Amino acid sequence: MKRQPEIVVPKSVALPAVEALTLPNGLPVHLVRTPGQEVARVSLVWAAGSAVQSQPFVASSTLNLLAEGSEALTAHEIAERLDFVGSYFDVSIDRDFAVATFCSLGKFFGPTLEMMGEIVLRPAFPEDEVALYARKRMERLAMERSKPAVKARELFSAALFGDSHPYGISSPESEYLKLRREDVRAFFERFYGAGNCFAVCSLGDDAGQREALLELLAQVPRSRPITDSPSLITPRSDPRRVLEIPGAVQSAVRAGRLLFPRGHEDFVGMQVVATILGGYFGSRLIQNLREERGYTYGVMAAMVNLRAAGYLAIATEVAAEATGDAVEQIFAEMERLKRELVAEDELENVRRSMLGEVMRILDGPFGIVDVVIENIQVSGAAGGADGVGGGWNAHCGCSARDYINDFIRQIEATTPERVRDLARKYLDRAAFTAVIVGKE
Amino acid sequence: MITYRKQTLSNGLRVVVHRAEGGAMAAVNVLYGVGARNENPARTGFAHLFEHLMFRGTRAVPDFDTPLHRACAENNAFTNNDYTDYYITLPKENLATALWLEADRMGGLDITPAKLEAEKRVVVEEFNQRYLNQPYGDVWMLVREMAYKIHPYRWQTIGASPDHITGATPDEVRAFYARYYNPANAVLSIAADLEPERMLAMAAEWFGDVAAGVPPLDDIPAEPPPSAARRLEVERDVPATLITVAFPMGGRISDNCYACDILSDVLAGGSSARMYESLVRERRLFSSVNACITGDLDPGLFAVTGYLLPETSVEAGEQALWSELRRLCDEPVGEYELEKVRNKFEAETIFGELNVMNKAMNLGFYEMLGDLPLVNREVGIYRSFDAARLVEEARATFVPERSSTLIYDKV
Repeated sequence: MKRQPEIVVPKSVALPAVEALTLPNGLPVHLVRTPGQEVARVSLVWAAGSAVQSQPFVASSTLNLLAEGSEALTAHEIAERLDFVGSYFDVSIDRDFAVATFCSLGKFFGPTLEMMGEIVLRPAFPEDEVALYARKRMERLAMERSKPAVKARELFSAALFGDSHPYGISSPESEYLKLRREDVRAFFERFYGAGNCFAVCSLGDDAGQREALLELLAQVPRSRPITDSPSLITPRSDPRRVLEIPGAVQSAVRAGRLLFPRGHEDFVGMQVVATILGGYFGSRLIQNLREERGYTYGVMAAMVNLRAAGYLAIATEVAAEATGDAVEQIFAEMERLKRELVAEDELENVRRSMLGEVMRILDGPFGIVDVVIENIQVSGAAGGADGVGGGWNAHCGCSARDYINDFIRQIEATTPERVRDLARKYLDRAAFTAVIVGKE
Repeated sequence: MITYRKQTLSNGLRVVVHRAEGGAMAAVNVLYGVGARNENPARTGFAHLFEHLMFRGTRAVPDFDTPLHRACAENNAFTNNDYTDYYITLPKENLATALWLEADRMGGLDITPAKLEAEKRVVVEEFNQRYLNQPYGDVWMLVREMAYKIHPYRWQTIGASPDHITGATPDEVRAFYARYYNPANAVLSIAADLEPERMLAMAAEWFGDVAAGVPPLDDIPAEPPPSAARRLEVERDVPATLITVAFPMGGRISDNCYACDILSDVLAGGSSARMYESLVRERRLFSSVNACITGDLDPGLFAVTGYLLPETSVEAGEQALWSELRRLCDEPVGEYELEKVRNKFEAETIFGELNVMNKAMNLGFYEMLGDLPLVNREVGIYRSFDAARLVEEARATFVPERSSTLIYDKV
């Protein structure tokens, strides 16, 4: 047998330079040059997630309907022109942010940019497209909600934040039928201005592309930052909720507790704790629930960051008959973290896994865009842990490089004692919420 | 376009390397030419169960994962009908660690009855999570059983039932390992910003003394084309009725397969494609529609699917799907529409080669197909099909007597 090769720990993570500028309309733009790449990516991020909507589904509908017809082109024409050059237009939304992403071959950046203008500057939200969308979405949501994991996710948010909290609420599918074109239009006008937005782009060498892009982005209507967004009410967590599914062969289990958003001094430390618990394949919950007991195919734990809150979440689907014990094992592993110091060896595995994860995200020309977006979302967040929604500033203070390096520094500095202390401070069973969908 | 160098070691292992300029990460991919198609009909799901066992350690390295965590690596694997693929990404400085571990488990796997029992439970839960406890989770099980009668594609990779998994014995595991897990049945591919010479030398250094084996060369029965239309109606507690119509198509590198891939894109590649435009947007019969190919090594399946809106009857839904298929047989696809699909293949190919993992995986796949240069030739192949050719291929494929229709009815 051959000797194990020596392992090298990368000393730093290389990041391309990010150019930050502000356009005359106030829109912050972050540009990454990726010389030699034949692809381009532009992402626009608006602080327009579902938590700011005053009517169910209007935030996601606005985002999803951006490309469904403009003043000049029909939905089909827009889709066809993007498809013709093989470009992608994707959207995603969470409670805080709406994101639209365009990816294209460098040689087709021009036609892609043209469609970007139709989509983000001149959406028309045609009446019949809104109606078709509402109908389609209602069906799709019903379909999604027939999945145990989706049921568990919704129930968990509601149990963690409260049924009417903007981070906890979910609405019946039938609310889609109340959606009107005027509501979408009004939401767009209020939340899609330059003061509530930022753009992050990865481009090749072509100087013309940069100029054309900036010219387009400068046309986003100027707007004041939104400072009067509805205050987030104080969350109220329930200790336990159960949804019985007769005949289920598995239970979807979610457990967690409210903690704090990313800006908190203990956030990264708790990310390390979450990783030890269930954030990589060597994690304690994987070892316990999967490798030893065979209750599950997978289990994970993570810190989840929102603008005005943050929480620890543990998620798994377990054999129905093992549900009770699986929940007990999850808490037993937390107790062990409070009782025993984690071995330096295990902690080092975790640090390296987390470092490797950062490096993997940055592989390829598009990953840096995701890192920059996250950095701005986190450092631009105002309001903070008290849950009072204040204004939001997209002009972030720190560079992506500093952000990543600070993250790595904090991981490296986490000691077994700190892990234990954090576990003792935050892994209090009485503060946890557990949700079961399946068999109790 | 991926550049590569290839070399075959004396034990039969094929090695392909690619220099990925400028990246910090390396990807190591090991593909074994064994999948569900090589399984015994009484022991379906075995190739996938075995994939899980490959992570359970060897005599020399009892713990496979820890050295990888230490090396900032991530690793995983998947099994499909045709092959089993293991991949590792890690900082390129640690490439040797990945090679060391993959070479070690190519020859020295240590399967105890206890490990096998533990892994069976995990796989049964995977079966439950992904197929049994999911709405529509058994759709493809039913479609495959209907469309194939002889060929092993008639069962899914996960297996025909959890009983097949729980019945697996240690002897079966050892025999399977000996037959399929050897250098002659494997492809090692590496992508990293390192000198190709150096990567080839490292591959030879670590894998050169893995004991040689013989390629398994299984005799897999060919599926005769159906002589009459097949149909199955089932009732399930789901939110919407799903219609699936499937047809036999050619194997992965046949002209018919490329044509079917293009036709499926004409029908459903992107939101400007025909089925969405006509059946969802204009006629409002379905909430969503799709067309796809399985693209398997042996002759696969072309399928169109649609989730009905509550007011649409099954009959109207089926007729609508057929009207789109017939249109492909009756009138040539317009030049603009065809150019759109060709451009899309080009873009998808480039987007699919952006990180080291995808590059290494692609190289392994094409080498397995037995035609490595094809990795850079396919965009050209897609461009070579004209509208008349596509009409011919559509007529040869969308034959009512060869169809298998599944009505997955909402109760």
